[in-house]
Amino acid sequence: MNIHINGKVYSLPHEVNITVSAALTLHFIEPQQSTFAVALNGDFVGKTNYDTTIVSNGDSIDVLQPIQGG
Amino acid sequence: MSLNIYGQQLNSRLLIGSALYPSPQIMKQAILASGSQVITLSLKRQNPNEQSGQQIWQYLQDVVKYVNGFLLPNTAGCKTAKEAITLAKMSREIFQTNWLKLEVIGDDYNLQPDPIELLNAAEQLINDGFNILPYCTDDLVLCQRLYDLGCQVIMPWASPIGTGKGLMNPYNLETIRLRLPQATLILDAGIGKPSDACLAMEMGYDGVLLNSAVALADNPVLMAKAFNQAIQAGEQGYVAGIMEQRQTAHPSTPTLDMPFWHQN
Repeated sequence: MNIHINGKVYSLPHEVNITVSAALTLHFIEPQQSTFAVALNGDFVGKTNYDTTIVSNGDSIDVLQPIQGG
Repeated sequence: MSLNIYGQQLNSRLLIGSALYPSPQIMKQAILASGSQVITLSLKRQNPNEQSGQQIWQYLQDVVKYVNGFLLPNTAGCKTAKEAITLAKMSREIFQTNWLKLEVIGDDYNLQPDPIELLNAAEQLINDGFNILPYCTDDLVLCQRLYDLGCQVIMPWASPIGTGKGLMNPYNLETIRLRLPQATLILDAGIGKPSDACLAMEMGYDGVLLNSAVALADNPVLMAKAFNQAIQAGEQGYVAGIMEQRQTAHPSTPTLDMPFWHQN
């Protein structure tokens, strides 16, 4: 299956749904070293729900971090 | 005199952005010179191969701690209430604050807020416990609706973001002040010169939020100091009570017992 993280496509070998936590390991080497928040298909996913929220084929994850702003 | 934002007393009436500075060091010096205790910031997509994002975040935290200040995350770039609500929740988790500068843009050309999406987002976010500081146009009825929803702070624009054109419609801004005497009014966006900020404060506005005017100045640190002083001057002028304008000249010097030429 394919999932999108910050616009980049990740192809997984099996049609098995994974959790947000597992998906983040595709994006990060060390997630614990970063400050970030997650949305799945445009909806916020709190950190406490990473292990229980399922990512399916075609889903899109946004991982956002702080930046300067006005 | 202090500014009250959702129960928080602040020593400065200037809220300042953290973007567009020539360097992080100049940003820090400018924020210190501004005297501001409220610093805006945002969220962007994380790049795992880029360490600078984490470093900037650490730097911003240090600055905010140093000035005993507060973070004000924004929802820049959002075009719908749904996008803004999602970004708001992500910001709250990261920044651990209920404060939110709510931006919902309706037009890409002049970055004009979408009043309908803005009201929709504000209502849902207030119900979710956020303390909203909505960036809006200088439309009295829109400001009234936002206030009625529970926005204690309203932030009408002076002119479109980043233009530096100053107060496009002083009449509109004065009318909002007159009609919403209980609201905390902060002029946001389009400020170019310290005198723009001073003028807003002389109108009775409670504060000013700006970024480009300082960050894009030839000397951002000196400009930050100038805005700091201009805002204090404008506020003190308003509190002191500005004299009524008169149609005809009135001599300042007493005319009684003037020498020589009027003695006949």
